[in-house]
Amino acid sequence: MEINELSEGKATVLALAGRLDSNTCGELESRLLGTIDAGAGAVVVDFADLAYVSSAGLRVLLMAAKRLRATSGKLALCGLNDNIREVFSMSGFDKILTITGSRAEAVDAVG
Amino acid sequence: MSVAKLDLRIRNDLGEITGVAETIERFLDEAGADGTVVFKVNLCLDELLTNVISYGFQDGGEHHIDLRLSVDGGVLKIELEDDARAFNPLDMPPPDLESGLEAREVGGLGIHFVRESMDRVAYRRAGDRNLLTMQRGIAEAAGDDDGGG
Repeated sequence: MEINELSEGKATVLALAGRLDSNTCGELESRLLGTIDAGAGAVVVDFADLAYVSSAGLRVLLMAAKRLRATSGKLALCGLNDNIREVFSMSGFDKILTITGSRAEAVDAVG
Repeated sequence: MSVAKLDLRIRNDLGEITGVAETIERFLDEAGADGTVVFKVNLCLDELLTNVISYGFQDGGEHHIDLRLSVDGGVLKIELEDDARAFNPLDMPPPDLESGLEAREVGGLGIHFVRESMDRVAYRRAGDRNLLTMQRGIAEAAGDDDGGG
């Protein structure tokens, strides 16, 4: 998995590419939680180039969302393909996380 | 009509899963499975393999997990066999899908995906081995009228 970090407006965007699974979730955990612990309060995770996510990846997103909630920060996800949307739907994560279509919408949602 | 088969022997190393997923994707594509079905089957097998590899072996040694897939008459059958400690995934309580963000946990989601994605799941402990069998159609649409074999 690749993780590209960039700024858009007030948001810190982590753009993921490849597979987010038990083998790669550690990389996202350290980058995402590191970013939040360093003070980022508006975080977008862009799934546009991500092909796959498993429950190991959902666990990291849940940790990040909880940590941001505790510090009055915001998290939004964008660019989910149809298969990944189904994973969020089956897990009920679509009801507790902010999910938008485009990155611009996600940046607005956390702004 | 010929039966398509794939047999894989997987080392108990999480690093194996990416290669396994690619092999299964090629096999199911060639067998004519829908893309969404390929994704779901790989999701289920990733979750099950991750569980076995992460929690099943306590001796720190090398083990092998046998995975057998067959497609016959539009029906995919999967067998997963290992010598890990006894674990029946069907005994796992259902996951929490309802509580709010702060109270939400992820335990049990992998098995939930398996139950949601497969038509049949059965577990058997045979001697010192776990045997999990699963079945589903290779087409996403319910009510597939393929006569099969």
